[in-house]
Amino acid sequence: MSQVGQVVGILRKLNEEYQSSTPKKLKLIDAYLVYVLLTGIVQFAYCLLVGTFPFNSFLSGFISTVGCFVLAASLRIQLNKANQSVFNVSPERAFADFVFAHIILHLVVVNFIG
Amino acid sequence: MTSTSLMMIILVILPFYSWCATPTVAANLSPANIDGLKAQFQTAMKSFSDVASMHYTLAGVKELGVVPPDTYCNDIKKLVDKSDVESIFHATEAARALANCKLPAEEYRALLTSTLQSDKSTTADVYHAVRASVNLGLNVDESRVEKRLNALAKTDDSVSSQGYALLTGAQLSQPIAKFYADTINDLVQQADEVDGRTLQYEGGVGTTALLVNAFYEVAEKAGVPVKIDPKQLIKFASYFSTKRHVATLRSAYYLTKVFKYLSDRKNTIPVVVSRTTPAAVSAQNPSVFVSVSNLFGQPVGEISVVAESAKRKEDGAVVISKQKLTAKDSTSSIFELPFYDAKIPRGFYTIHLTLTPRGDEKLIGLTDNTIEVKVTSEAALENAELNVADRDSTAQAKTHKLTYPNALSEKLDLHPHQKLIIKFQVKDKRTGEYVRTQQAFVRFTNKKSKKEIIYLAEAASGATAQYKAEIDLTSNAADFRYQSGAYDLVVIVGDSLLQNAFEWKVNDNVQLTFHEDSLADKNHQDLYLPRPEIIHQFRVEEKRPPTIVSLVFSALTLLPLLILLVSWLRLGFNLSGMPLGLSPLVFHVSHGAAFGLMFVYWKYLDMFQTIRYLALISIPLFLAGHRVLAILAARRETKA
Repeated sequence: MSQVGQVVGILRKLNEEYQSSTPKKLKLIDAYLVYVLLTGIVQFAYCLLVGTFPFNSFLSGFISTVGCFVLAASLRIQLNKANQSVFNVSPERAFADFVFAHIILHLVVVNFIG
Repeated sequence: MTSTSLMMIILVILPFYSWCATPTVAANLSPANIDGLKAQFQTAMKSFSDVASMHYTLAGVKELGVVPPDTYCNDIKKLVDKSDVESIFHATEAARALANCKLPAEEYRALLTSTLQSDKSTTADVYHAVRASVNLGLNVDESRVEKRLNALAKTDDSVSSQGYALLTGAQLSQPIAKFYADTINDLVQQADEVDGRTLQYEGGVGTTALLVNAFYEVAEKAGVPVKIDPKQLIKFASYFSTKRHVATLRSAYYLTKVFKYLSDRKNTIPVVVSRTTPAAVSAQNPSVFVSVSNLFGQPVGEISVVAESAKRKEDGAVVISKQKLTAKDSTSSIFELPFYDAKIPRGFYTIHLTLTPRGDEKLIGLTDNTIEVKVTSEAALENAELNVADRDSTAQAKTHKLTYPNALSEKLDLHPHQKLIIKFQVKDKRTGEYVRTQQAFVRFTNKKSKKEIIYLAEAASGATAQYKAEIDLTSNAADFRYQSGAYDLVVIVGDSLLQNAFEWKVNDNVQLTFHEDSLADKNHQDLYLPRPEIIHQFRVEEKRPPTIVSLVFSALTLLPLLILLVSWLRLGFNLSGMPLGLSPLVFHVSHGAAFGLMFVYWKYLDMFQTIRYLALISIPLFLAGHRVLAILAARRETKA
């Protein structure tokens, strides 16, 4: 009982920290990340339910969610001012990369979706 | 082939297996197939298509003693090709075979002379021209021919060229012929030995026969005997005697000439020894008859034949030694060797014969002659009995004593828990001992379907050699395919050394009952009937989930989008900072167009088209995007 209580306490603290110290831009991206994650989970659940036919479509959809997640996460990393020491790239440049990578990702996904 | 006829073959042919076979044994020569050659010539005589066939057939049939009618003369004149030396040669040879056929020599003189003078003619051409000239009575410049042959000998050293040189030499004067006769031995050395038993030349029977014929022709002209080592001559003779059927008339003609030379008393004659009685020696045929002749089948003069030894094949036991054979006729060509004797047990024997001529004939092939015979004996089936027993207990339910050839009269009824045992012994009537045979079977025939089920009877070891076959109705039921019903029961015994074979119907009403349901017979004949048609089946589509499920999940997939929008709004997402102007507009439009293109790609386009469109869109996208970002960056700079 106490262990559960400890975990709950930690989580609450984490949430408070998050809400207070994260800039709005990053929160927006986080919301986007959650959205992508949910979509991926729904797709995966569907595949588990009805089987993998047609497998290429499932893979394409799932890879699309994974790819979007990865690209958004990398955008977030690059935009996070706390990481400026490691990444020396302007936010605009990060965004441009994001758009470019997305175009390629979508090209591949649509090709594979069949 | 039904099983019955198969059995017939086994029963009839085995005991008399080599009766029909021609007596060909390893080292022996066999008589030439003169009748076959004659028939071949006579068939060819019915219609001729070219001069060469006429030559070979008419001359060949004359060698065999049949004089062809003169009516063929016109055919020769019609078929000859006046521009070809070989054709003229064949024509003159064919005309020579007829009694009265004159060819117009003047028409051919020019070509023949030019051939002999030419430097391009081959040895064959030279021979053809010379022989044709001789046949037509034209003069031949011998010294020129000799020079040409010498020149050819240097350039063409093939065996057939040398052969033609010999044949040409035989047409010229005696000293020249003698010169060529001395080269016979060199030519013989060039022959190929096969298996250590035959000698031949490359080119088959036609070429070999032509060459050996050349030896004799040139030696005859030279007036000297043919100097060939007897061992090699035997090998040549062996080769020729194996050619029982030849494909071409040319081969047939030269083969006939060779056989004639090899049977001519002036030359060395190979002797042919062959068995004329069937291979099986029994009480009815107690003697082996042997014929001694030349290749033509004619007697070879006074000769005595001695059987050096008769060795049994299985253990090498020697049963006779240095026994003289008795001549049965005055021409000394058939000899008898009594072989059926109490001291000679049954088996396969090889008899070695040696011949000694009494005259001064030049005979070869007198040793190393072998004859194969088999000594058979009559057999009897004894102590036959049929037992019906319970398969579990050893106690016998019933024993029926059987006597060949009587059948068992009562009906046999067998149940699944029983087994049938058949026992018998095979006794050699002559020696009284019990023998083992090559075949001892017990056969069941289903009376309805005529299907046969055969079991092997095995002999016990030891002197009694009792054969026993056991059929258990439970463990052997599968052999019968569980078909209960009436069966015939037959015992079959056979052996190559038994004079008689047995097919004994023991009982014709054996009722077999099996536990299980009967299985249909495998229809072996159906193998060759059309099979059921294969109809192409398209690949069955994979099962898809019901549409509702798909729709529900599609909706579920779009649900997070709602959640996103809600959370963004909650977080304070707004478009207030969005710059307005041409560049942002172009940027957003081209960005949207890119995604629109994705949709179009999915529905309508292929990769190459998409790439092209994408390249097109990405130019404004890049430019506008760059500008918009620059504006935003500048804005950020000013803010900071």
